[in-house]
Amino acid sequence: MIQRIRMAQVLRETVSTPYSDLVTRPTGRAVRGRIEQAMVHTEALTMHLDFSEIGLLDFSCADEVVAKLLLVTVANPDCCIVLHGVSEAQFEAIDHVLRGQQLTVTALVHETLKPRLLGWCTPDAAGAFEVLHSSGGVDPATVAGALGWSFDRAMDALDDLVVRRLVRCQDGRYSTVALA
Amino acid sequence: MRVVPVPLSFDDRALDTLAQDLAPWPPGERLLLDARMAKWASPYAFTSLLTLGQALAEANQEKPRFAVPENEAVRSYWAKTGFFRFAAEFFELHGKVPKKLAELPNDVLLPVTPVRASEDVHEVVGKIQEGASRMLVGELGLEAKAAMGFAMALSEACQNIVEHAGTSGWVAVHAYTFRKRLGRRVVVIAVSDAGIGFRRSLESSEAKKVGERWGDGAALECALLQGISRFRDPGRGQGLAGIKRYLERWQGKVAIRSGTARVSVGPMWGDDEVPRADHLAFFPGSQLQIVIPAQEGAAG
Repeated sequence: MIQRIRMAQVLRETVSTPYSDLVTRPTGRAVRGRIEQAMVHTEALTMHLDFSEIGLLDFSCADEVVAKLLLVTVANPDCCIVLHGVSEAQFEAIDHVLRGQQLTVTALVHETLKPRLLGWCTPDAAGAFEVLHSSGGVDPATVAGALGWSFDRAMDALDDLVVRRLVRCQDGRYSTVALA
Repeated sequence: MRVVPVPLSFDDRALDTLAQDLAPWPPGERLLLDARMAKWASPYAFTSLLTLGQALAEANQEKPRFAVPENEAVRSYWAKTGFFRFAAEFFELHGKVPKKLAELPNDVLLPVTPVRASEDVHEVVGKIQEGASRMLVGELGLEAKAAMGFAMALSEACQNIVEHAGTSGWVAVHAYTFRKRLGRRVVVIAVSDAGIGFRRSLESSEAKKVGERWGDGAALECALLQGISRFRDPGRGQGLAGIKRYLERWQGKVAIRSGTARVSVGPMWGDDEVPRADHLAFFPGSQLQIVIPAQEGAAG
């Protein structure tokens, strides 16, 4: 089950200014508070945060909204967060703050519908993510075969993605979280 | 009353001269800031002068006098930048102050604007984007995505006041030709506040670690070079780091002066420029300047 949250709407409900920019820490904190409230009242396990109507996203808000939301929800291993409609400039801000804290999130960038990982991750995890995205649900042997890795290496990379809540694992098969 | 001349051509480096003439701090006697002969002032000058007026008021000093420029064109320009509108609060203005403010000059992307709270940052960022895009892409030859990064840098620079200064501050953004030092057109963001400064902001967490070398310069290096914030939260300190990353891409420069020191990151455009300057004359609060130059071969 997926819950979609339109960030522009949350922003409008949070601040009185007419702008669509997600800037300043207090604003980011208030916006995150509303998202957390929404999460309490839903049974959805995957949250889609839609940035498509947001203009500017500064580093402070990227930290308050995305990084801190990932940290707040870390206690719930079933809760996954996917960013939608992220512009190239927003991508850079989010990527920058997540790398600093060794966090990762899946994002769909405006122009392409291909999911990308933002933030910090190992090259192996990034490689495994690519295979998963192009193949759908796979087991570690498939990833190992596709990348010329040992089974254990593929398993480690996939488990790293699961720990980071970027991938789900069921009955030994791994798949990306619902993106649409 | 002590007369303090306002530099004829007033940019970030000229503030050092003004600070020397102000010493000791607080002055202990009434000041007359003499700008009658002034010819040119950067946004850094306008925001710094207002910071000086604010700091004198907050130090319970007698309201200083301010002799406005005699040259009509200079006076008119200063009025259009919004300087006199706020200067009247902190200075007793002497001379002919233009009353009717015409529209902004083309090279003023953001007139002098007070930053007191987060809402002000929203306003500043919201208003500047169209003009910034026109200037950065149209005149300076930067790629379109540079405008977004510019607004982000502006937002983070202004937020430093709200988050750390303990008082309000000022921001202004102008474009001009950096003749002496670079020979190119630049866009300059100037942010200044009369607050506690970087040393006091970081003292409780960093002074012991740094030891004897602790001072304004060391505090600035902690913040600007190492991304250290007074908050323990690992997500803090990202603003200045983000500004540096943006400027690196566009060969820009950031310099912060606080107390008696200045630390700069980016290309050095003059023989007398150094990454860190200590033992400057004291000036209250903190002054941040971001310079983004036209790309080589740009029309501007």
